[in-house]
Amino acid sequence: MLKVKTGFILREVSETFIVLAVGERVKEFNGMITINETGAYLWKILEKGATAEDLVSALIEEYGIDKELAVKDVDAFVNKMKGAGLLE
Amino acid sequence: MAKYKIADTVFEILTVSDYTQHLCKDFLVEDLKAEHTIKTTVEEVREEMKKEPNFPGVYIESLVVFRRLCDYLLQKKKGIIFHSSAIIVNGEAYLFTAPSGTGKSTHARLWRELLKEKAVMLNDDKPLIRQIGNQFIAYGSPWNGKHKLGANVSAPIKAICVLEQAKENKITKISPKEMLPVVINQTMYPNNEEKVDKMLNLLDGLLKTVNLYKLQCNVSLESAELSFNVMSKGE
Repeated sequence: MLKVKTGFILREVSETFIVLAVGERVKEFNGMITINETGAYLWKILEKGATAEDLVSALIEEYGIDKELAVKDVDAFVNKMKGAGLLE
Repeated sequence: MAKYKIADTVFEILTVSDYTQHLCKDFLVEDLKAEHTIKTTVEEVREEMKKEPNFPGVYIESLVVFRRLCDYLLQKKKGIIFHSSAIIVNGEAYLFTAPSGTGKSTHARLWRELLKEKAVMLNDDKPLIRQIGNQFIAYGSPWNGKHKLGANVSAPIKAICVLEQAKENKITKISPKEMLPVVINQTMYPNNEEKVDKMLNLLDGLLKTVNLYKLQCNVSLESAELSFNVMSKGE
């Protein structure tokens, strides 16, 4: 199960989706990271918690892309999120 | 009971040491009612000193005051601090920003050399910005960097420019999207979601209102000529 850690928030500013830290998280995460529109869609699902398979299905449904591409996109996004320490 | 008008807001500032009072002396006012009181305590300053053991307590106290002041401005006055070197020419403010050590103070100095008395230093380190109606105004603050350059003045912001060191001088107009990560790193990061949203709203408005540039530059009068010519025309 993948889930966004508490203390990270998604916002849209200047036509950009950004992830920022609030509260105690500020101590471990300074600044912001930008994500694309697909990433923002996945983020909203990850706030509630989901498996990688759930994310793949959600992408296929939302964007009508084939499974191979959806798996690739999800992998890339999840790795980026994990790398930045944003997921539980 | 010392009162100071900073970013067009009257604060009463009560501190343990006199250092902050001395620092703020150009902003002293009389006969005006304070809108907000900032009071520090010995315990609080000691606590902060543990985090920054290499700085004297009086300096730490002045930063505690500054943080509280910025917090009040963000919550009540649509105000933020924007770490930059700010200079006024012909009644308009130009803000140079960059990571520490890149040379924003140096570039502002080149503008002063180029423009002589036409250029007024607003603040070399921590100017304050407030949204007033549709305008974004830069205000001088007592916290004006290690060279103590700045004054109790204000002006609407004409442009913000991020600097990069380079061999050749080149200036490019950039989009709010490109400037956003820069400005987020140069403002004081608030500690809760409500304040983060206030900060983002202000930054969003600011980036949509003023001209934004990236200047790749060396240390020469030519770099100042280039940036001034382009930015003052709004090109």
